[in-house]
Amino acid sequence: MAATLISLTASVNGVLYELGVAGRDTLLDVLRERLALTGTKKGCDQGACGACTVLVDGRRVLSCLMLAAQCDGCEVTTIEGLGSEAQLHPLQSAFVRHDALQCGYCTPGQIMSAVALLDEGRAGSDDEIREFMSGNLCRCGAYPNIVAAIRDVAGR
Amino acid sequence: MTALIGSGVDRVDGPAKVRGAAPYPTDVTYPQLAHAALVRSTIASGRVIAINDHDARATAGVLTVITHETAPTLTPAPFGLLGPAPPPPLQDDHIHHHGQYVAVVVAATAHEADVAARLVKVEYEGGDPPLLDFDDPRSALEATPWDTATQRGDVEAGLAEADVIHEATYTTADNTNNPLGLFATVAAWEGDIVTVHDATQWPAYTQATIAEVFGIEPAAVHVRSPYVGGAFGAGLFVWQHVILAVLAARAVGRPVKLVLTRPQMFTGVGHRPSSVQSIRMGARRDGELVAIEHVSTNSASIKHASIEPISGATARSYACANVATTDQQRRLNIPLPGSMRGPGHAQGNFALESAIDELAYALGLDPLELRLRNFAAVHPQSGLPWSSNALGECYTVGAERFGWSRRDPEPGSMREGHWKIGYGLAAISWSWWQVRCQARATITRDGRAHVCSAASDPGTGTRTVMRQVAGERLGLPLNDVRFELGDSEMPWAPASGGSSLTASLGNAVHAACEALVRRFLDVVADDDRSPLRGCSLDDVRVAEGRIHRRDDPSDGEHYTDILARHGLNELTVDAEATPPSQENAELARSGPFAAKFVEVRVDEDLGLIRVARITTAIDAGRILNEKTARSQIVGGTIGGIGQALLEETITDPGTGRITNATFGDYLIPVNADTPDIDVFFVGRPDPLTPLGAKGLGEIGLVGIAAAIANGVHHATGRRIRSIPITLDRLL
Repeated sequence: MAATLISLTASVNGVLYELGVAGRDTLLDVLRERLALTGTKKGCDQGACGACTVLVDGRRVLSCLMLAAQCDGCEVTTIEGLGSEAQLHPLQSAFVRHDALQCGYCTPGQIMSAVALLDEGRAGSDDEIREFMSGNLCRCGAYPNIVAAIRDVAGR
Repeated sequence: MTALIGSGVDRVDGPAKVRGAAPYPTDVTYPQLAHAALVRSTIASGRVIAINDHDARATAGVLTVITHETAPTLTPAPFGLLGPAPPPPLQDDHIHHHGQYVAVVVAATAHEADVAARLVKVEYEGGDPPLLDFDDPRSALEATPWDTATQRGDVEAGLAEADVIHEATYTTADNTNNPLGLFATVAAWEGDIVTVHDATQWPAYTQATIAEVFGIEPAAVHVRSPYVGGAFGAGLFVWQHVILAVLAARAVGRPVKLVLTRPQMFTGVGHRPSSVQSIRMGARRDGELVAIEHVSTNSASIKHASIEPISGATARSYACANVATTDQQRRLNIPLPGSMRGPGHAQGNFALESAIDELAYALGLDPLELRLRNFAAVHPQSGLPWSSNALGECYTVGAERFGWSRRDPEPGSMREGHWKIGYGLAAISWSWWQVRCQARATITRDGRAHVCSAASDPGTGTRTVMRQVAGERLGLPLNDVRFELGDSEMPWAPASGGSSLTASLGNAVHAACEALVRRFLDVVADDDRSPLRGCSLDDVRVAEGRIHRRDDPSDGEHYTDILARHGLNELTVDAEATPPSQENAELARSGPFAAKFVEVRVDEDLGLIRVARITTAIDAGRILNEKTARSQIVGGTIGGIGQALLEETITDPGTGRITNATFGDYLIPVNADTPDIDVFFVGRPDPLTPLGAKGLGEIGLVGIAAAIANGVHHATGRRIRSIPITLDRLL
């Protein structure tokens, strides 16, 4: 039985996509399975780890909790849309420089969250960064280096 | 050229990881890829009496359903790093724990597989209530297999001489590894050859296991794991889902992907088992330890063996003439434990170092002073001098950096506003562990080196560190060296586990590079045109892409010149390094040592516990990359905060179901839980190996729990002998 598809037009990393999605399809699964943008990670599929963080119209969202159908007319930015191999985004290079990652699985989500954090003006102090980055779990324990990388880019 | 080894170069796979371009097993795809979903038992003990998969099979997209009734007979897998392997799946109708796999469903899409898995109807016969409690008189208490006990002197005689005796029981909770990366296996058969992409910490073992289980040649199994999304010991075993993915792919004749869900990560890839530990220790009035007895009991699977060496480190931790340690286990209807960062040590150290702190108070001595007075100047079990041991320096340097002297010994005496402040300390003597390892080194016509080994880098920095080692040993800049790992077709490597890989693999890379230089010298041995003619390895040095005579750096030539003149495209060698033997040894092989100092703050009204700062002083021998080494210790430290204050896998006492199997309910430290962490390396290269590195993957975690508990006692006067220390225990 084919599910009824919902048509969806969304910009992902500046590219316009017209897709038919099932009502239950999450943004995360559509990004990973349909658009082959596997930089966005699934760590829990329950909205509790932050590995799937992407920007929708500039705001950070957990793409495992957002239905793709909700993104009609939206601009989605994933880690692939941030910087290129030749020119990393300042946060991406700061993460490398400060060793703000180990296994790297949570890293795309951390970086997308950090991009939004800077826009939100929440990088005023280390404590503020810690608090507002706490939705992104890192089991390797790179937190202090993540704070250092964000502080660096925030120019403090 | 500046030294590569030791310098804090950036992680070489960092750029790929920050772009989301590093392929983890969950990211692997194939044309015609099918997806598998697991059906898990909803009882903890009993039998499957019927499985009805009719509805599941009738669901759109479903390709097959495999149960114990349809699965082929599989051969048990060989032993791994810490003993026996998990049993092969779906071999009979017996249920040993809640969450055990009873079927696997394969469908065209992941969603279809999921839907169908929910439609598989399983009927059980429960029988007696499951054994879930340490105190259940029906559960068997057994000695840990492969005897881990240690003994020296006579504990009772020692206690008889003691002026002060401390005796207490300590308990630790079940913890779950919970790497962020969901474990996943993608299996693709091509004829009789299977390629397996997996989140393993040990590609060679995964290859050997799959070959054994399916009765095929190891050469027919190709395991790929270039990137692993964390594992912390969970990837040291070949778990049942890996076998099921390979089996499912063979059954449907298509590549199959199986990704565990977060709840399945709590039952299917091991955990740190809970423990109950009794300690008796005695000392003379001046603090001299005269006896330590440490008896641990950990939870274990009702049916399948596992090893948790909890008390063993106690025997080598202090200079004490009379020591006895014993590990035993309680067989329960729980998922099979595995290994979790610092297995055994993490629990054992909490008990030992809490007890030492308590003894210090009983003696009226500073806890640091008591440890210094009982420092083991030689290996206490063998009596041999340590090959390297800077624990004394860890104590003094750590205390200085932390400001231990500002500590008022009186519990509850230090405060700031409504925060009670406590300083706690713990020491760690980690085990020595290295194994044989192979590596291959190649230099090609363009002057670049390629070095590889079937090792794993689950975030440890192995890729980066080995490139540094190879670059320095070949005299090449970092950019001219490639190091690859994570493929079973590369030379054999041991697990990224037991804090052993950096030393074992580093020595293999060192050996391969040395052998490669020798190979170049062989080529020019009779070459009239070579300034290196007739040179042996001892006569030369390498730098800037050249081999030159040791006494005259200008007298030498580039690798590229040798290759070109001799019409060679490349030279390549395989080499193996074996660890130093303990036979007739004059030195005791030493693991790393550390001292950890923690400032804890406890809210006097709310019982809220905050870790304010941590100083770790560590002797890990030669540090190969200051940056990634520090990250390992910082990361371990944060894991230790989790063990101390947050982490507890909770099993429903009636059904055996894990009740908090999500990241919303099983708490791990978040960024806001993380204090300032100061890491300081002391010590010198260990002389027993050419590189002089000791492992540091686990010692970062161990000791944090005791240091925090000791800090909580100092802050509040409350001695909490059970972790995690949650605030309700302080109210």
